[in-house]
Amino acid sequence: MQNRPAIVAVGRTKFGEHYGKEPEKLIEEAWLKASNEADIERKDLEACYLSDYFLPITNKLGLEEGFLSELTELHVPMEVTRSFSAALLTACHAIQAGRYNVMLVGGLEKMTDRWDKIRDDLMLLEDPWSYYAGCTPEANHELMLRAYIRKYGITGENLEKLNVALAQVAVKSHSNATKNEYAQYQRKITVEHVLNARKEARKPLGLYDFAPISDGASALVLTSEELAKKLTDKPVYVLGCSSATDYLDFPAREDLTHFIASKIAMKNALKMTGMSPLNIQLIELYDQSTVMEMVSLEDLGYCNEGNAWKTIYGSCQDYKGYYDLAGKKLFVNLNGGLKADGNPLGATGGAQIFEIFKQLRGEAGERQVTSDEELKYGCTLELEGFGTKSYVSILERE
Amino acid sequence: MSSEPIERRVSYLGDRLKGSRCQICGKEYFELRDYCGNCGRKSFGKMQDVDLFYDKGRLEICTLVNEPTNKFTKLGNYFYGIISFHNGRIRVPGRLTDRMVKCDEVIDFSALEGREVVPRFRRRYSVNKSDVIPTISLAFTFADEYYPHQEYTIADSSKEYDAPGIVGYGVYTSRFRIKEGNLERSVPFLDEDAITAAVEAGKLALIHSGVDSSLVGKIYVGSESNPYAVKPIASKVAQVLKLGEEDEDVQGVDAIDTEFACKAASSMFKDAASLVNYPKSGIKYAMVIGADNSQAAPRGCPGGELDLFVGYGGSAFIFGKSDVIAEIEGWYSCTSDTPDFWRRDGEPFPMHGGRFTGDPAYFKHVRKAAKKLMERLNMQICDIDYFVTHQPNVQFPVKIAKELGFKEEQYLPSLKVNKFGNTYSGCSPVGLSAVLDIAKPEERILITSYGSGAGSDAYLLVTTNQILDKRQRQKLTIKHQTENPYVEYVDYTLYRQLKLGM
Repeated sequence: MQNRPAIVAVGRTKFGEHYGKEPEKLIEEAWLKASNEADIERKDLEACYLSDYFLPITNKLGLEEGFLSELTELHVPMEVTRSFSAALLTACHAIQAGRYNVMLVGGLEKMTDRWDKIRDDLMLLEDPWSYYAGCTPEANHELMLRAYIRKYGITGENLEKLNVALAQVAVKSHSNATKNEYAQYQRKITVEHVLNARKEARKPLGLYDFAPISDGASALVLTSEELAKKLTDKPVYVLGCSSATDYLDFPAREDLTHFIASKIAMKNALKMTGMSPLNIQLIELYDQSTVMEMVSLEDLGYCNEGNAWKTIYGSCQDYKGYYDLAGKKLFVNLNGGLKADGNPLGATGGAQIFEIFKQLRGEAGERQVTSDEELKYGCTLELEGFGTKSYVSILERE
Repeated sequence: MSSEPIERRVSYLGDRLKGSRCQICGKEYFELRDYCGNCGRKSFGKMQDVDLFYDKGRLEICTLVNEPTNKFTKLGNYFYGIISFHNGRIRVPGRLTDRMVKCDEVIDFSALEGREVVPRFRRRYSVNKSDVIPTISLAFTFADEYYPHQEYTIADSSKEYDAPGIVGYGVYTSRFRIKEGNLERSVPFLDEDAITAAVEAGKLALIHSGVDSSLVGKIYVGSESNPYAVKPIASKVAQVLKLGEEDEDVQGVDAIDTEFACKAASSMFKDAASLVNYPKSGIKYAMVIGADNSQAAPRGCPGGELDLFVGYGGSAFIFGKSDVIAEIEGWYSCTSDTPDFWRRDGEPFPMHGGRFTGDPAYFKHVRKAAKKLMERLNMQICDIDYFVTHQPNVQFPVKIAKELGFKEEQYLPSLKVNKFGNTYSGCSPVGLSAVLDIAKPEERILITSYGSGAGSDAYLLVTTNQILDKRQRQKLTIKHQTENPYVEYVDYTLYRQLKLGM
């Protein structure tokens, strides 16, 4: 990427249930953290891109930009997208085009206020025809798993291993989240917890296979390469970012076992960087469910199709903090993933970037990982809907 | 659904399961499309409509939903999955209906996946009492269970008759029954009501008749349990079954609902027959449907005695002068202002006049209609092969049949109240269907309906040779529905819950 957009500071709130906090308090908190870190003033901002999936619906807020203007007392260009990665992508384009030099990218969501209606909202927005037919946000993940099992003919002992592997995904995420002060669930769970919840629900996936609903916000300061070097010693560059789309209607998609949008987004992002997946050892996947994490490992090219569960199973028998890809370490969802860190839709992608940023700069504290090779690159995958949109961002530290 | 236009668009596509096929590359889509994604601009004008309404699909994959979204909570636990049509060229989401997943049921998804399914026209989900009732055909049942898959093949008519008559018919009852003593009664599933029964019955009549639905110029739906006080069932039937010529999204058909307690449908037989017989009507076929989710107050409450007899179902008849299976030889109707049974506007359940419903009501009118018609046509009891009458309970039809002089072999074949209960507007038509299912050519059928309020219509029908030709087209016969191993029996509490619906 020419004129690499650079992230100079990140900030976020704890994810979880913020009953007492208004949405604007959450974004304020995340923004303050990021701006303090970069020593940026509001007046320095040339544009703000904010992401938020639900507020226009839940709060009937038609023009969120105005709300943001009130909050920041700014009159600069502002746009609202539905995912953090979408905001980041648009901001990157603006920086690359030389239009702006300093931008705020933020994301927020307040889901728990609407706990009793949120599943209807999510489902209707995600895939209306499926909603009309009786689908739930969880059912599509389960159908994807059923389709996967049938397509790859996984039976008997292998099927048992796959089920355990998916449980291990959740166990791993919860374990990672114990070291994340911002995570919604900072407690460990066991494979038995996951398996028992499925047994109780009498379906392929149970309570512990799914990410929760959350409140939270995240923010970052994005600048041009030139300015970044003045603001920090350790800028993190957005080396490649790309997005792709797919049908709203999950049953109508050609492949029910993978997210074609993720495959395309990753391919294009890699093309921008000239790298192969294995150059990247740090990834934050969009694990709305354990199945999504498994399938995404294949979509992004880390495992062959139909095989990711073997990698997970093999790595988690004696989990050392990474998935073992034939001797190569792959660190996945170090912040606990959506599963344990939380999933406030509009802010989730920001937390993924936050994690990669901190890890690449060696500032992840207790969670900091090291590798034999230098940790230079990280990647995030964020989805909108059930794979209707997919965003891949590849980051590089100075 | 808060917006009626949105509801209208979703229903328009979802009720009939409309899709498109690209005539260039063959790609198929659920929902109507003007062009194909593969072929782009050159496919404009080359997209063909695809209709999945009479098709069968395959349940590809499924899961259990045990925490539905809010609008589906009344359905409890259900199976939900992806259904493919045309060897996977079209895939749609779908809920398995008519199936209550019990708390202790051992679930094996692979035993359900891969099986053939047929679409059912049902209520979509729960809404507020004042809202438009959403419907959809993205509900499915297994093709090897209660409802078999039936192809709809339009047949060219081969013979014209002098007198109009019945060209085809169909009876739709639910898979669920309540059994108390010797009496079995059909019970709707939660997503069924008078509207869904009317559509399903009409669909069966089209299948049996082989009549091109675009030639049906009038549809009458008789019901006393229309969930709407204002909004016809007939318009839904016309749209979903594509009655009359379709122009854009409007059907060239006259549709009207009728109400006269249990004779709301049978009363219109003569109107339908007259209409197709009128040379300048331009109407080749007319359809009459009687459908009810027969209401009754709970036992112990005023009017609760009815709760022992009420059933659920619909029956549909197509009248015309081509390929007739039973010609109408004549009719007689009588009416008096007799308040033996009524339901005030806004009240959920009807009231009745107790003993007053017998002699001065049911018997008086049925007796008069039957006798007058026989007199008029100069018929004797021995000239009649089958006698059909309204069946509010088991005793009334037997008593009047005997009084008129009919023998068991003449009236028992039509007696189905002990299998389905009193299906109100659909009741005597169900009896007629039971007879048409077994009648030989050149047999005479006398049918007397009864509607409280009160009146009776008597018709004399004579079957033709074509009754045999069309018989194999209908798999969902009365016998199929009464002797079906997939019938599920429910207890009283569940029966009340199911009748209230979503």
